[in-house]
Parts: sequence; structure tokens; C-alpha cells
Amino acid sequence: MSSVSGCELPDDLFYNVESNVWARMEEDGRVRVGMTTYACSLAGEIVALTPKKVGKFVKQDKSCATVESGKWVGPVKAPVAGDIVEINTSLLDTPDIINRAPYGGGWIAIILPEDWSRDSVYLVSGEAAVRQFEIKMEEDGFGGC
Amino acid sequence: MTRGADDPWRVIDTGLRSAAENIALNRALLEAHQAGEAPHTLRFLRFQPAALLGFHQHVKQELRLDYCRQHDISIQRRITGGGAIFFDPAQLGWELYLHKNVFKTSDLSVIAARVCNAAAIALQRLGIDAQFRPRNDIEVDGRKISGTGGAFDGDSILYQGTLLLNFDVERMLRVLRIPMEKLTDKAIDSARDRVVNLSELLGMIPDLEEIKQNFVEVFASEFGVGFKPDNELTETEHSRYQHALAEIDTEEWVFQHDRALTESPTLEAVYRSKGGILRVNLKLDLRRQRIAQVWFHGDFFVHPRRTIPDLEAALKDIPVKEVESCISDFFRQRQVDMLLLRAADFTAAVREALRSCDTELTSV
Repeated sequence: MSSVSGCELPDDLFYNVESNVWARMEEDGRVRVGMTTYACSLAGEIVALTPKKVGKFVKQDKSCATVESGKWVGPVKAPVAGDIVEINTSLLDTPDIINRAPYGGGWIAIILPEDWSRDSVYLVSGEAAVRQFEIKMEEDGFGGC
Repeated sequence: MTRGADDPWRVIDTGLRSAAENIALNRALLEAHQAGEAPHTLRFLRFQPAALLGFHQHVKQELRLDYCRQHDISIQRRITGGGAIFFDPAQLGWELYLHKNVFKTSDLSVIAARVCNAAAIALQRLGIDAQFRPRNDIEVDGRKISGTGGAFDGDSILYQGTLLLNFDVERMLRVLRIPMEKLTDKAIDSARDRVVNLSELLGMIPDLEEIKQNFVEVFASEFGVGFKPDNELTETEHSRYQHALAEIDTEEWVFQHDRALTESPTLEAVYRSKGGILRVNLKLDLRRQRIAQVWFHGDFFVHPRRTIPDLEAALKDIPVKEVESCISDFFRQRQVDMLLLRAADFTAAVREALRSCDTELTSV
């Protein structure tokens, strides 16, 4: 497990640093997505979530869910294009699970990717992810998770 | 277009419009800003009578639909967060469309505080003691005069607020589901204790242009920029607006969240303590086990008076299990004269109300 400014970044995940989301390729070829600890720290406690409906196609970097925290509303952007095949329904009543376990029980959706090899080119992992998050946090004037 | 750091910001007044048009403009201006097609912008707006829900709110739980329909009050859903409000032409809306780098932080609570503090200064220029009250209100002596909320898309943010110029409290109470079942004189008085408008504070409504000019000057000073009036949308904003309006001016958009009223019960209790009689009315979010809204009133002494609305604001949207710690933290952090009334009495009153709904209050 890597971390930047106290924000955890599991090594087995792919990240879109700009959108502050993660993607995990599952054994069955589907992609699980969620928010990073950094995104959660910026947002504060998440009080509501509206995922896109199962069966809906989302483009890469377009919203697969909408979250609310502290009266702010914003999108969770899909790290890859594809059909939404599952949503985490436990978040509908307890969205703050995202804050407590962003890489575990706080996953947001599972996407059947249209073309993983095409879209994953735009994602980073490992050392590259750590470097990019370091730059982003500095730009954001971030004090730490 | 490209935005230069030294470019003046645009100030635009889109006038009096329907709720659907105003919300569609929110979407269009935010999208255009995010796409780099529009400048940083301060927008003023006004509404035909409308009940506006926060993006994630449920229609039946927040609004009295029959009254709205009978009185031509349109119902709309904002793209920003927060609670339901009643908006009519006697209120002024203000909003900023900016890049996060203007704030040198991506921390949304810091951004909200900076904008709200500046907006409070703009109101102070009118001669009122307006102050930012975390998390998102601007108040005068504990009474709310402006509510705010935001939305973001990528690095672009929209932060918006209301300003009560003159206000029909009774009408608001008929539109919104407040934590009291019946519209009694007590309910009206309770509401009047919690909101205030410029007309009441100043004995007149200041000139709208003067108010807007205050916002322009204070935001210019706060962010070190100049403003340029421009009341025309860009071509791409206009086309994004048409697209947004087609989606937003629909029942599908407005009713996308509409859980049953039974999932948001209104509870009440009367608690007799040594310090007096404490009445509590609260709206509970049953599924999320949170206090949606709470009002305390009754026969007791508290000084300063603003303690009660401040406590209510601190309890808004708090998980039930955190009520006790929230109340005790609240009173620990301030000097309050309550004679024999204690912080624990407020907790006990809430516990009593929750008991009628089989919801247990456990401390954490």
C-alpha cells in the first residue's frame, strides 16, 4: 500500500488522478470503480449518492454517479467507458461508507468495460500514480488526509 | 476561448425567470465554464414563485405539493446540494462560476467559507450585522438571511446563495414541510425567529442595483479582480442552455427522487426540566437515521437568544447516534446563560421525540 500525504493508494488499483477515482480489474473482466481517499478527504462526509442506472452506458470521464457532501454536489467520473452492470446499493442509505472504506465496501459501481486496453492507457498505477498525486495535492494546496 | 489570469470576470444579470430556466442556466454556465468556453462569472438571478429542492431531496418529503399546484408555485430540482427553499421575486439570487485554482485549494468547505464570508461583508455594507454561520448559512443575530450551496464539475465550481429582500413567511410554511404538522400561530412565530429579511432589518428594501454593486465590489476586492458587465450568454452557453432546459423542464427531472413521506416522519415531544418546558419538533430521515431538521421552543430562558437557531443549525443532518455528542460539544464551546436548563435537557427532549418513532438515541 502506497500513500501520499497520509492518503492511501492501494498498489493494485488504476487511477485517474484528475478525476480522483480508482478502477480495479476483476478476474471476470469487469471493472470496479470508486473514489480515492484523497477525493473523500476533499469532499468531507458524503451524505447522498445517486448512481446511474444499471444497464446505462457511460463514456470515459463522464459521470457514473453523483455525490453530495456539505451541500456540494458533483460527479464521480467513470475511469473507463462501458455499461454499468452493478451498483453498490448499500450506499443509498449509508453513503458515508465511502468515507470509511473507499477501496472496500465504499465501491460505487461495476462497469463492463467497452475497451479496457484503450481506456486504461489514460490511467496510472504504482509509482506513476504516487508521483501524479503528489503533484496534484501540491497544486490543490492540500494539507493531508 | 482561453481564460487569462488577468482577464476581468463577467457579471451577468439574467433577470426574472422561471425556475426551470434558472436551473438550466446553472447547468449550462457550469458546463461551459468547465469546457473553458466561458469566463469566471458572477450571476444575479430572480425567480417566479418556485419551490426548489436540493439535488438529492425527495419531493413528497420536502414540499406540500397540493398547495404548490393550487397557487401556481412551480417545483424544481437544483443541481446544487442542500435543503428545499421557497423562492419568489422578493429574493435575489447570486452565484459564482469559478475555477478551483482561484481559491488555491480544492477543499470544498474552505471554498464555501470564503465565498460566504465575502457575501456577508457585502451585506454588512447595507448596515446589517451579517455573518457566515458554518456550514452554509449567512445569518443576522442567529436568523438566516441567506442560504447557500454548490456544485462542481472537474475543476469548475458553481457556488450560489439566496438573499431575502422581503419575505412571506406564512407562504413559505405552506410550501415547505417544516417540522410542525399544523400551521399554527406558534409555527409562524417559530419560523419568524429563524429567518429574517432586509426589509424587516432596515425598514425598507434597498435599491436592487445598490445591493448587486456591493456584491460586485466585495468579490472584486476579495479575489483581486475587475468585473465587466455582459448580459449576453455566449453562443455555446446558449446552446448548452437549450439542451439543459429540455432535460430539466420535465417531471422526470423533478421527481427523480421521490420517496414516501412516511420515511421522513415529523416527531414532537414536550420535555419538562428544572429549567423550564422544552418543546422539540423534528423531521427524521428514517432510512439514513439522521436528523433532517429540528426546532426547539417552549418556556425557558436562554441567553444569547441565537443559541437556539445556532444549535438547530449544528444538528442539521447529524446522524441520530451523534446527537448527544453534538449537543454537548456545542454547549462546551460557547458561553450560554440558561439558568437551570442544561445541555443534557436538549438531548433528553430529542430522545423523547425519537422514542415515538422507535428510534434509539445512543451516545458515541
